[in-house]
Amino acid sequence: MPDLASPSPLPSPEQHLTIAVVDPSRARAAVLEEGLRTVEGARVVVIPDTVDLLDRLSALSPDVVVIHLESPSRDLLEQMFGVSRLVERPVAMFVDRSDVPMMQAAVDAGISAYVVDGLKAERIKPIIDIAILRFNAFARLQRELTEARSELADRKLIDRAKGILMTARGLSEDEAYRQMRRKAMNEKRKIVDIARAIVTAADLLG
Amino acid sequence: MRLQLGYVPLTDAAAVIALVEGGFAAREGMRVDLVAEPSWATLRDKLALGLLDGAHLLAPLALASHLGLSGPPARLIAPAALARNGNAVTVSLALWQAMAPASDALPDVARALARLAETRFAAGRPLCLATVHPFSSHTYQLGRLLALGGGRLDLVRLVVVPPPRTVESLRRGLIDGFCVGAPWNSVAVAAGVGRIAALGVDIAPACPEKVLTLAAEMEERAAPLLRALKAAARWCGTPEHWPDLARLLGGRRHLDVDPDLILRGLRGDLQVAPDGSVRAAPDYLVLGEDALSLEPGTATWMLEEMAAARQLADVAAARGAAAGFLRPDLLAACD
Repeated sequence: MPDLASPSPLPSPEQHLTIAVVDPSRARAAVLEEGLRTVEGARVVVIPDTVDLLDRLSALSPDVVVIHLESPSRDLLEQMFGVSRLVERPVAMFVDRSDVPMMQAAVDAGISAYVVDGLKAERIKPIIDIAILRFNAFARLQRELTEARSELADRKLIDRAKGILMTARGLSEDEAYRQMRRKAMNEKRKIVDIARAIVTAADLLG
Repeated sequence: MRLQLGYVPLTDAAAVIALVEGGFAAREGMRVDLVAEPSWATLRDKLALGLLDGAHLLAPLALASHLGLSGPPARLIAPAALARNGNAVTVSLALWQAMAPASDALPDVARALARLAETRFAAGRPLCLATVHPFSSHTYQLGRLLALGGGRLDLVRLVVVPPPRTVESLRRGLIDGFCVGAPWNSVAVAAGVGRIAALGVDIAPACPEKVLTLAAEMEERAAPLLRALKAAARWCGTPEHWPDLARLLGGRRHLDVDPDLILRGLRGDLQVAPDGSVRAAPDYLVLGEDALSLEPGTATWMLEEMAAARQLADVAAARGAAAGFLRPDLLAACD
């Protein structure tokens, strides 16, 4: 005969878990969402970081909120989840407050997480790990994109300066480039700075 | 010496901002980088994890961090306050009309607010009031205001709204009122959506607001920073400098708010309602060297308020750990 007084079984690891993602950058939120979808049994919901965030979060009642450090809404979550251990459903940030290296890695990556109490550490750690990896990858991609963009802009500027020199002084393309490079080396400046000076001067002199 | 100081863009970050922008740190041979953060939680975490050397921080949150009640473990010291007062409670025009206090005086306003909070709670539609962080004088001032009128904080829905979003939250009816620092109350009044109902200085005159919080290991290196802070605070406390200070703070790099609203806060010449009603409150927000001093009893006040807000279980037990946190002696030692 089953013992009716026995406690309900512990939640299995496969049990549903709702993760909310809050990030002022929609692109970054999408990258994180995609990564977190790989967590078993997880439902991932991206919530826009707008003025009605609180109502949307209350309606969703997530188990975990992953939020970017750039979001002003972190303070809102501190109230909502309750920072005190005296409240009914206290929250653990980063699972274990003594896990300083993990907190450091998360903050370096730009993330913070809020978790309802009772969630097991082994369920939360992979979420934080994925978030850290994804945010770092996103930052790297963004850096590379910025670099590529500025490289392209530099090349365009140098081409324009070359054209100006070729027309004004009747030089070949190679010779125009050599002269700019020599000037840059002699003045210990970047060739793009010399190019910019030429373009600016040409603009002013019409 | 090179330091990273964090702050949240607010009028009472004036001394920290002026410390750098006014050249006071440079005069002490220091290079200080200002780091603006969008939330108090991020300031607290970066300070605790060593990414910042110091910060303009809510005094109760700084103490909570030091006591291990909030965020990663941290060892912090607070050698100086950064300003006195500066908070106000602003309510929506609809709430003000429903409150209909007998006068603008604090006891009447408190009674009207507490009465309405009770009615709305009984009707199953509790008032929604916003603070800036659970561990803040703002939370405690809301509690005291309601208590003064015979009410309780438990009867309202307490939420946090980042100050730059208070105007839109009030306009859309997401909240009924809020307690924030300057200049955000004035911004709500100027936007035509709020009525300043009570000033923090009337609710809790000597309450600690923001403090300069440093990592504990900064203690030995704090003297030049504190000398620069004193000079910056003196500059900020001089009324002739207020127009310049308001322009500096209002700029895009810092608050990105109409400098005139900041200036009125500094002068204590507050427009309290969109109809143009004005209230003179010279001690609404006090900057200057005197405002740096930490009054005796500050730590006790905070611990008792934390306990009243059910954020701290045992005041007596926390007293020991709190003892080394406030360090007015460090400020006094450098002249």
